[in-house]
Amino acid sequence: MAKVKLGVKIRETGTGSLVDAVIEPVTLKDYKIIKQSTGRFNKFDWSLYKKKEVYKLRLKANTTILGLMCLIDHTDPDTNAIEIALLEVSVENIGNNKQYDYIGGCLIAFACRESFKRGHEGFVSLVPKSSLIEHYTQHYGFEYFPMQTPSRPCGLMVLYDHLARNLIMKYLSAS
Amino acid sequence: MKPQKDIEKKHTNKELAASIVFPGPQNLRDREDMLSALKEIRKRKKQEQTDDSKLIAQLLQLKFLMEDYLNDKALNQHLYFGYFLKEYIVRLEKKYKQFAEEIDVNPTELSQIINRHRNPTDKIIYRLEIHSNRNFPAIMWFRILEKQREYELMHDASIVNSEKSHVKKQLSFSL
Repeated sequence: MAKVKLGVKIRETGTGSLVDAVIEPVTLKDYKIIKQSTGRFNKFDWSLYKKKEVYKLRLKANTTILGLMCLIDHTDPDTNAIEIALLEVSVENIGNNKQYDYIGGCLIAFACRESFKRGHEGFVSLVPKSSLIEHYTQHYGFEYFPMQTPSRPCGLMVLYDHLARNLIMKYLSAS
Repeated sequence: MKPQKDIEKKHTNKELAASIVFPGPQNLRDREDMLSALKEIRKRKKQEQTDDSKLIAQLLQLKFLMEDYLNDKALNQHLYFGYFLKEYIVRLEKKYKQFAEEIDVNPTELSQIINRHRNPTDKIIYRLEIHSNRNFPAIMWFRILEKQREYELMHDASIVNSEKSHVKKQLSFSL
């Protein structure tokens, strides 16, 4: 499946206006930039994901990366899903003083769109931290499955069917 | 990279869920546990899926594939108008004859369009928009047709040359 570039809109919090942005695959050059832009993506070591399917969200007008997401495509028929393995919004866009909103939403909606496109029927999963479970549900509509084992205490969260479509409608329909 | 506890101190859980997906289990055994749980959920969801939901997923897949092809600058000889029209009909589980009746088109004409022996008329494209309840807008079909014609023009000089005898006069210089 060819990796794609998708136009999206994010919201400038100061003005409330929608701004053109793009989601596209991360290049090797981007990994250097991510490493050098100390402080903006400081939560995870993205260089460990170089060989994986990683996307960035940037403004259409410039190259500044505002969000990153790693997807894993589970193509075997029994799983048939896209897993969001990692996602990070740039530090200046987290919290009350963020410059742009909808970055995380657009990235997760993009994962849903890829899931439909690749024949996974919109099925998207992530492994939550226990403290974030209710917020993933409230914010993005993820459904929680508590199937705990000693090695996997937090269960799984999934989007599927109309929940995935809702997210695509909310974040990608303005594009 | 910041330890997870530091990240959690700096932001509220609501802010984190909107902007971050932490990595799931990393060691092989935990990951296998997670994937087998994911398969169980997937199986359950598949069993609950309605026929309508399956159809919507298939049509969304087609729509997103068409959108991506239109957003891609590259031309592909296999992705022509008739191919996408056939996919639309097949996903609806209709016979060509039945579909031709539904949009009031001669079945032979429909077959010729699908098999690339003739191009669709504007009326057929407008009817496709109406048939799909505007989920596949006419503009999308026109743009697919435009890409098909662009490919044909680039790869078949005889399309233009066949009109040579009708041109009585031509410019004598090149720009």
